[in-house]
This record gives sequence, structure tokens and C-alpha cells, in this order.
Amino acid sequence: MTALDIDGSNLTLKALAEVARSGREVRLAPAALAGMKRSEAWVQKAAAGELLNESGNPRAIYGINTGFGSLARLTIPQESLTDLQRNLIRSHAAGVGEPAPRDVSRAMVLLRANALAKGASGCRPALVERLTAILNAGCDPVVPSQGSCGSSGDLAPLAHLGLLLCHLDEDPDRETGEAWFGDEKLFGREALRRAGIQTLPLGPKEGLALTNGAQLSTAYAALALYDAQKLIRLGEIAAAMSIEALRGVTRAFHPAVHALRPYKGAQSCAANLLQLLEGSELTDTVPGKVQDAYSLRCTPQIVGSARDALSHVHEQLLVELNAATDNPVICMDVDDDIKAYSAGLFHGEPVGMASDYLRIAISEVANLSERRLYRLLTANLSANLPASLAHSGPGLGLMGLQTTAAALVSENKSLGWSSSLDSIPTCEDQEDHVAMSTTAARRAAEVVSNASYVIQIELLAASRALKWRLGEDASLQLGKGTRVAMEILADLHDDLAAPSDALKSLPDLLDGVLAAVEECCPDLQALGSFK
Amino acid sequence: MTRILLDGRGISPEDIWAVAHGAQTALCPEAEQRMQRNHQEWMDLGAPDVLAGKEAWLLGSTHAQRAPNPERLRAFVESHCAGVGKSLPTVWVRALMAARANVLAGAHSGCRPDSVHMLIEMLNHRIHPVVPRLGSVGAAGDLAPLAHVARVVFRLGGEAEVNGEILSAIEAMEPLSEFSPTSKEALSFINGATLSSALAAIACVRAEKLLASSETILAMTMEAVLAQSGCIDESALQARGQAGGIGVARRLSAMLKDSEMVRPDRQADAFSIRCAPSVLGAAHDSLSHVKQVVTQELNGACDNPLILNGKLIETGNFHGAPIGLVMDQLKTTMTQVATLSERRTFRMTHGDLSGRLPSFLVDDTGTNSGFMLAQYTAASLASECKGLAMPASVDSIPTGQHHEDHVSMAPIAARSCLRILDALAEILGIEALCAAQALDFRIEGAHFDADGKKQIGPSLRPSKSVQVSHETVRKVSAQWTIDRVLHLEIQACAKLLRNGDLLPQTSPW
Repeated sequence: MTALDIDGSNLTLKALAEVARSGREVRLAPAALAGMKRSEAWVQKAAAGELLNESGNPRAIYGINTGFGSLARLTIPQESLTDLQRNLIRSHAAGVGEPAPRDVSRAMVLLRANALAKGASGCRPALVERLTAILNAGCDPVVPSQGSCGSSGDLAPLAHLGLLLCHLDEDPDRETGEAWFGDEKLFGREALRRAGIQTLPLGPKEGLALTNGAQLSTAYAALALYDAQKLIRLGEIAAAMSIEALRGVTRAFHPAVHALRPYKGAQSCAANLLQLLEGSELTDTVPGKVQDAYSLRCTPQIVGSARDALSHVHEQLLVELNAATDNPVICMDVDDDIKAYSAGLFHGEPVGMASDYLRIAISEVANLSERRLYRLLTANLSANLPASLAHSGPGLGLMGLQTTAAALVSENKSLGWSSSLDSIPTCEDQEDHVAMSTTAARRAAEVVSNASYVIQIELLAASRALKWRLGEDASLQLGKGTRVAMEILADLHDDLAAPSDALKSLPDLLDGVLAAVEECCPDLQALGSFK
Repeated sequence: MTRILLDGRGISPEDIWAVAHGAQTALCPEAEQRMQRNHQEWMDLGAPDVLAGKEAWLLGSTHAQRAPNPERLRAFVESHCAGVGKSLPTVWVRALMAARANVLAGAHSGCRPDSVHMLIEMLNHRIHPVVPRLGSVGAAGDLAPLAHVARVVFRLGGEAEVNGEILSAIEAMEPLSEFSPTSKEALSFINGATLSSALAAIACVRAEKLLASSETILAMTMEAVLAQSGCIDESALQARGQAGGIGVARRLSAMLKDSEMVRPDRQADAFSIRCAPSVLGAAHDSLSHVKQVVTQELNGACDNPLILNGKLIETGNFHGAPIGLVMDQLKTTMTQVATLSERRTFRMTHGDLSGRLPSFLVDDTGTNSGFMLAQYTAASLASECKGLAMPASVDSIPTGQHHEDHVSMAPIAARSCLRILDALAEILGIEALCAAQALDFRIEGAHFDADGKKQIGPSLRPSKSVQVSHETVRKVSAQWTIDRVLHLEIQACAKLLRNGDLLPQTSPW
């Protein structure tokens, strides 16, 4: 993989995932330097007291020479400006709970670096280069996952990153943050030492520039979206296999039907199901059967709606991935001496709402999958498949896995409160509406993870059902796509003991299934970052 | 450490908590005799093959005839091993094993005492099966989690954690003698919502501690904001007749009786102070109901079929509804405690609401942000609690081929409840941190005028009881003068809560 150049405008979801999960190298794009330096020079001037107000005194600019939040009413004397930024980081490092997963932490660092590269924060390029240095070294901050309201951004989580980057030599080890390096979790100082990276004492406004924005929320949401995009594609393959195993009717997916209610997502999903099932001798061949139950027939309506939801979420997150989220922002091109604009770009609401939407969409994809699974395993609903697919050997077949899937989708429902609905006033009522986007995004990630187990269980059950059908009649032709998936999944069932064991080997096969199916069905409709 | 005797009758949530945290355990001799007799009853019934019966019920009689006995038993247990996700923490696995051992010790399942001895030996040797966290609906009990335990006990496969190492079941079980289960024992190991009740037991103990500690912290805050004492007047709460509230008022009055700060001659306070006895009182009443149900469930015959009076009875005692309901109740209850505490933290950090304390409780505000973010963290956690408090047990999804067509979702409720309790310890820790800081200003005699200028007046002395709490906090977190790394201080105070270091000095703990 080539190194990724960041300039604040061109980051994609796929590149984010590559940096977060595959260690793709990151560089500050040379083209970003000029803009960064311009705003930095202006901030330096403001911090030096060279910008005057009407009475001829140094002008108060938020966060440069004032207190933070409701303390903006207080002007900070010149000699305390360094302390101001250092204190900000230390007093704001207030996160609690389990650390965010390492890929999420890396995504957060990349997002912050990209936001600063935009050149609207007035920080030095050196700060961004420190961020890319820790990413490239794999020196990843340990960031507590709880305790942020997502407005004014993820202050606390980002301040934990700040402890790592900006501690002083005299700080005790435990006050230097924590980071993973290799497989070890270390104090920040030791992690940086091993990675060969120097700390960077903060300049004016830089503490604020480092912390003001909902990047932990966005990191969770973006990676969850990336996984959700993959999940929907796998979910359509699982649905096609179930429809085939249940001897479904594909007329419900005909393009003429979906032209009459032309939701893009539904049209894509229906077209995909038809391609995956093309040539199948199991579908549309039960005499007298005119239509299926909703969990089969309405797959385009539900999975399609989820596709549309994901498109919207993707659109929103792409904005956030490439946004300045700082306050104040420095707008150098405005014809006005005061380039600093105090505004609300840090507010996590767009990410919070998108995360809640993502959570609902993926919960529904899993709910539908669970119902198809139930049909596959329930004797009077399964078009004569053996009860619980317990046809070989003793035991209850896959009955237990349906219970597991039911528990997972129910768990998603109990995580179903939309966090972005809530707000609790903070900061002496100055920050009187907050986003709760961090919780929303973390919940979305949890739901995507639960849902991915459900889809895996459906893949396991549907492939077992198809294998049984083939056992009854080896000459049967499967669909164009489902046949390829079966070639990979059929072996899972040779030695079925504990279903949880079979599930353990499944995740390793999924990328192969997707690649093989998409190769033989080149016209499958794209989704998000994929194809 | 004391040894907990399992008798199937008188086990408390505290007993389960103790075993979960490492206490040794044993089977009570009388319970052993009762088990022996109950097992004989099952033998006298002809040792019916309950697994064949269960398979016939679920899959039809032709299926049930397919396998000979040992193979059927293995397949039955293994096919229930369907959990997914990260492993349960060791403490939870121990609670689960102890709670299931106690259900079997109740002598209604036809099991031999050796079945309970196996679980006890594993607990005492610290052999802990690896149990996936997700995948139980809590009816026919917590089948999957219990099957992952049974698989190791019967040495059929799976893994166990021993001294931090993950071993195969065979290796892990090496120190113990073999145990060959009957078909009834295999079923009785897995049939019942015992993960739910075990987690509920832990939740009860933790909730009780946190609720009691929240009163100690409330006393600190009342002094810090110079509260009016009317709201803890026991006679007022008596007049309403709310048992829990009366207790809170009585204890708060005792804690604050020698206070110079909390007095009757002040303005009435905001609800987060004034209504605290009512809200915490309601929480006490709620928790006492929850605890009663959980205790009953820990000692109940949560199995099927039961062997009673020489008969085999097919029933539904495994269904987790009782626990699901009370765990959802406890979630709401403790979320109220959380949101109440967050509002008090907000008041103390708010320059206009705290009774002339500085914004964010630090002298040199501006360059310092003091406890600004402490309140953000509390607000975020309180909001998270609200979300987790959404009831789990309102849901039900048909399972088991229409046979198990209503399920409880109790384990989901119990796990969410424990997540709320994790957050609550942090929220109360933050309140304690802020209250201790506020008290330092009162003791100094400091107040801040409208321009934020510090004025020194007469020093105020906290009550003896609050003084002790104040010192407890100060032992782990010094007075805040210049901004420090805040999360270390929050962590330290939350730990006080978890360890019970801020329980009322008069508490039975």
C-alpha cells in the first residue's frame, strides 16, 4: 500500500480503515503546509498580543488568551498562555471505563490529524507530523471509551491523546498517558521512547486544536459503518442462500416490481438477490407456491432501506472525515482583521444522529436474518428441511444457534435507545445542549458486532440446509452466486459438534466468500466503500 | 476467608458474591443427604431418560431414538454450546457455578451429591470454564452459558481458565476425579436462568453498597452547598410513610447532626438535594424487593423436570422472567441514583448554583479549568445509564421450533444492570471528588463574590461523619489547586466506591 497523504479534504472511509487496521502509512500532504502556516502565523500574532481591540488592548480570542467553556469570560495574561494549553490537556483528560479498541484509537488520531491539516486550526504542521509519527510507529494512545458527551467534541478522549504527545519531562510516568506499542500497554513516556518519538510542548491554541471535535465518535462510527457495509453484502448472500434453501419465489425481486416503488436500496438489493440466485433449480420450482413469508419476500424492502440508510450515513461521515471541527476556526480568506470565528463545528450531533440511524438499520438487517434462520430450523416452516437441521448424528443440530441469534437481536433492541436523543446541560449551562454522539457511535459499533454474529449464524445454517438439499439430489443446480459461496462453506459441516466451535472458523472464510461471489457476479450493486 | 456452605435453601446474594470473589465453598451435609434421597427417588422412577424425552419433545420421537446414551448425552450438551462473543469475566463464571451448584443442592433435580461436589471442587481449585458472554435468552434458562460450563465439567471439550492460563478441559480438570453424569444430571446442569440469577446476585450486592455510599456522599454535598436541613427531617418523611425515605432521613440526620453548614435557617434547596431522601428512599424500597426476588431465585428449584414426592413433574421453573423483571427494575432504580448525583455535581461546579463557590471549584479559574470536565464525564455516564436502562424483558422472540415461544431476556437485563453499576461508581466518585473540594473552601471560610474575587470569612466545620469521608477522599486525591490529570483522580475515587471505603461509618458492611 502506498502512503496516505492527508490534507483535510480527501480522506475516504476505506483509507481510514486501512490506516486503522492495516497499518497503512500516513503523511501530511505537502500541499497542506501553506494553509496551515498561514493560520498558524495569525494565531501566533494574536497570542503575542499584536491584535488590538477598539480600546487598543490585546484582543481576546477564544481559547488563545481566554479561559475555556464558560470561562471564556476570563482573559488570560500573556505569561500564562503556555500553562493554559497544558492545563487544558491535563484537566480535560477525564475519560473512564474500558479503553476504546486499538483500531478505533488509531482512527481517532488519523481523524484529528486530518482535521488539523485543513489549516483552519492555526496549529503548527509539527503537531500533525507528531500525530502521523505515532500512527506510523504503531504507538497508539490508550483512550478511555466512556465519559464524553461529544460536545464540544470528544474533549476527554482527545485530551488522553494530548497527555501522550505533550507531557513534560518532569511529569510523573502516570501523568504521561498510556499507549500500546507492539503488544504492550505502556506509560506514554515509555511508549514514545521505544517508538523514538519526541514530545511536543504545546503552542498557543494547540491544546484546543488537539481536543475540540468529535473524533472518537467519528472513529467508532466510521469503522462501524465500514463493517456494516461489508455486513450488508454478506447479509445479501446469506439471504439468497436461505431463500434458495427454503425454495423461495424470486418474482418478488423482479425489476419491474421495484421500478414501481423505486427506492435505490431496494432496487439494488433485489437485483443482487436475482443475480446471486440466477440459474437456481431450487427457487421458483415448488408447484402452486405463489409467495413467501416476509422474511424472504420483503428482504429488498428491509435490507434495501438499510442500504439507503447506510448511504446517508456514509455521506454524513464523509463530511465529518474531512471537516475542521475546531473552535474558534481561523478563516484566513475572509476579508476581516479578526480571522478567528467562534462557532460550533465541534458539536457531535451529525455523527450522533448518523450513528443512531446506522444502529437502527443494522438492527433491522439482523432482525430479518434471525427470522429467516428461524424458518430454516423450524420443521413446519422450512419446506421440508430436517427439523433444526439435526439430520446427521445425535444432538439438536443448530437449534441452539437460533436461540443465540434471538438473544443477539434482542440485545440490539435493549441497546436501542437513541443516545443522540439525550442531552444533559454541562459547563455552567454554557454547553447546554450536547450530542451524546460518543455513546451513540459506540452503541452502533456494538450492534454491528452483534449483527455480524447473526449473519454468520445464518450463513452457517443456510449452507447446512443447502448441503442437505444437495445430499438429497446431487444433480441440483444452485444459483450463480450461492454456488460459489457453498464451495467455500460446505466443509464447515463435516464435523459439527458444538455450534460455537463451527462459528469460530467462519470469520476467516468471509472475505473469501465475498471475493469469490463478487468475482462470479460482477454486476452486483455497489455499496459504500466496496466495489 | 470464610467457607460458604451451599444448602439450596439459605444462600444469599452476599454468599454468591463471596464465592465469586474467591471464597471457598462446600456442600452442607444435610443438603447432601437430601440430595441422596432425591436421587433415590429418581432411581425408583426407573431413572427415566430425560434427554430422550427432551429430544422427542423438540425434534420428534424418531430423532430421539437415533443415538445410544453416552453419545446422546455428549451431543445434547455440545449442541447447546452456542454462545458467542468475549468470555465472561472469571468473577461472573464463579458466581454462575456457585449459583447452579446451589440450585442442584436444593434436592429437587434427582442429581447425586457428586454433581455438586464437582462444581465445588472446581471452584475451590479455581478451574473456571471459558463461557462466551452473548447468546442466552434466559428461558429454558441460560442454556448456552451453562452448557459451556457442563462441557468442561463432563470433560467433553471446551476450555477453562486456570491461574490466568487457558487450558483444554482435559488438562484443566486433571487434578479432579472423573465425573460421569446421568442423563438427568446432564439436563439439570443446563436448565435454568442461573447466569441471570448469579449476575443478579452480584448486582444486588454492588447496588446495595453504592446506594449506601451515595448517602455518605450526599451528606458531604449537603454541607458543601450549605443545604437546609428540613429535607432530612425524619418526621416529614414519616408523614409520607415511605419506608426507604424515612431511613435515608434518619441516617442523614445522624451523619449531619453536628454540622455547622447544614441548618434549618436557610432557603429550601433544589430537588437534587431536597428530594434526595425521597428518591434514594424509593431506591431502597425498590432494591429490597429486587433482593428478595433474587434471593428466592437463588434458592429456588430452577430446573426441569423436577423430582418431587416420588414423581417426575414437567414444569416451567427454568424461565428467567422473575430475574428479568427485577433486573430491569434495578436498572431504572440505579439510573435514578446516577442522574440525581450528576445534578448535584453540576450544582457544585456551577458558580451561580453552588452557594458562592468558584466556577469549577478551583481558585484560579481561567488558566485552570478545575472540575469542569468531571461534570461532563458524569453527564455522559448518566446519559449512558439512561440508554442501558431500557428494559430488556419487554422483548421476547420465539425459539426452539415454536416450543419455546416466550423467553425472558433476563441475562441481557442483568448484564446491562452491571454496566449501569460500573458507571454509577464513577458518577458517585466524581461527586465525592467535587464535594471534598467544595468542603475545603468551606473549611477555609472562603466564598467568592459576584466578580469571582475570593473573600475569607469564618471557617465552617463539617460534621464528624463528613470529616471522616472528607479525609477518606483526601487520602487518594489531594486538594486541587493547579490543573492535574483528572482521570487519575476520578479513578481513585471510583475505587473508593467499589471497595466500600465510603460506606456510612455505621453501616453493617
